Amino acid sequence: MFGRILWKLLRGNRGRLAVALVAVTSGATVISGLLNLQFDMREKLTREFRLLGANLVISRSGTSEASSGGVGTPDSPALMDQGAVLNRLGRLETGDVVGAAPFLYIVARNQDTPVVVAGTWVDQLPKLDPTWKIDGQWVASREDDVQCILGRNAARQFHFSPGDKITLNYLGRSATFGIAGVVDAGAAADNQIFISLPAAETLAATSGQIELVQMSVSGTAASIGEYAAKLASSLPGYDVRPIRQVTEAEGNLLHRTRLLIASMVALILALTALCVLATMAALAMERREDVGLMKALGGSMARIVGLFLAEVGVLGAAGGLLGSIAGIALARWMGERVFGASIAARWEVFPLTIAMMVIASMAGALPLRALGKVKPAVILRGE
Amino acid sequence: MAPLVQIDDLRKEFGSVRALDGVSFDVDVGEWIAIMGPSGSGKTTLINILGGLDTPTAGRALVDGTDVARLDESGLARFRAQKIGFIFQQFHLVPYLTALENVMLAQYFHSTTDESEAREALGRVGLGDRIEHLPGQLSGGEQQRVAVARALINHPKLVLADEPTGNLDEANEEIVLRLLRELHSEGHTILMVTHATSIGALADRRIDLAHGRLAQVVTRA
Repeated sequence: MFGRILWKLLRGNRGRLAVALVAVTSGATVISGLLNLQFDMREKLTREFRLLGANLVISRSGTSEASSGGVGTPDSPALMDQGAVLNRLGRLETGDVVGAAPFLYIVARNQDTPVVVAGTWVDQLPKLDPTWKIDGQWVASREDDVQCILGRNAARQFHFSPGDKITLNYLGRSATFGIAGVVDAGAAADNQIFISLPAAETLAATSGQIELVQMSVSGTAASIGEYAAKLASSLPGYDVRPIRQVTEAEGNLLHRTRLLIASMVALILALTALCVLATMAALAMERREDVGLMKALGGSMARIVGLFLAEVGVLGAAGGLLGSIAGIALARWMGERVFGASIAARWEVFPLTIAMMVIASMAGALPLRALGKVKPAVILRGE
Repeated sequence: MAPLVQIDDLRKEFGSVRALDGVSFDVDVGEWIAIMGPSGSGKTTLINILGGLDTPTAGRALVDGTDVARLDESGLARFRAQKIGFIFQQFHLVPYLTALENVMLAQYFHSTTDESEAREALGRVGLGDRIEHLPGQLSGGEQQRVAVARALINHPKLVLADEPTGNLDEANEEIVLRLLRELHSEGHTILMVTHATSIGALADRRIDLAHGRLAQVVTRA
């Protein structure tokens, strides 16, 4: 009987309830969209921030050179034992490590002009810095000792293009490289020349010595920090530093966006509750006679108000469900606009949105409390 | 056998208006009582107090051993569901429920619903073919018969009828009165408010109220 009465209540007031349903659905759509965005945002932001390049740098303790381009000399005390570092690094490598490369910097000369040369695993460069734009080709092998990559400014300074050859001199030794490509890094790397680590070691007449390791690790600022701490504990004598501007920016943006979304969700819930409240206030007035009669027939307030609350619950659940579905489309649209990537539907958003809309609708059903004061004798007299 | 209804010095005041002023009488099980009197004499107030729709200012109203004045809100609801069957002048059916559902609504508030019993009750009042009709699709007489079926569905101890034929034409009045006569002959206890002397004459006893006081008790010969 409960179901029959509930169905009749919903059918009997479909006009008024439809207006409330539209309001609940609209609210649920925005909330569902925002929640989908929020749940997917960590992944999206992490991906975006990984595009900014390496976010972890390992160097000898006590050195504080910049993450990319601190220039030492082969006999510098800042140099690290490549084998020791990379062996331990290999043991701690997880699926979150997108790219990693050792770096040995020297200041070589071309045509008597000094230029910073970075010896590294050249095949890792596009993984470390996916935003670098290359004119020409990447060097595919990290052992390649005949090709190099030029930074945009270095290429401009020496008037080189991909396909040209460049000769580098260092402490009386020289090597000639074919220019595979010219990169536009938008950073200090634009002034540098990238050659393979073996080629740099040959030029520097050193072996197994590196200045730093750059890593690109995916994950949140917190998880990267945790990974860095783990690395640091297994690499005593070395500094493992998250590149602060990247991780902090990620953390701040995530925090602020979450705060914004939480505020908007709260505001929408309040507005939805107000809309339901207006509808229920009108319905409560209309139903005074029904309630008076139900009371006269022996209906307890719990049973009577339970009926009306169930009606509001159905309203909230229906609006929440419809809004959850529509919210996926909204999230996808926002994802395309904000991240240039589609937002995946998160199924946990459905129950969450529905629950929130039911609660908001229930909060909007406060006028039903007034029905408790209805005196059946007064109502039945027609007053 | 103890009386089903015991009213003792019952008083009810609405502000400065004294609707009932020391009314006392008993009703035995199976009796049909007609309560008569001019407008404002306290008839409906009396019925409402006996039905647990209103509370007295003073005095006692015992129905089947329950002192209505001592019940709280939920106790009154239980009392109404279990012991009272109401028939109102204005029918008071829920407009968006069918005749069947209106009868089942009383079952729902009493305990559990039994659709076949509700159908049977409607068949008894001659509405077996109108059970799926909404009140708006029924005539006044038919609506009142639905109300009679609803009043009886929970086998109440006391049927309270407030001007049950007041809004009916002659034909429908006769149908409803026939139903009340049947109920009486089956042993139901009925308290009926009426203005019509001819209808009051059908009852076992006629209690006349005037200005909230018992003016006269007439027992049918």
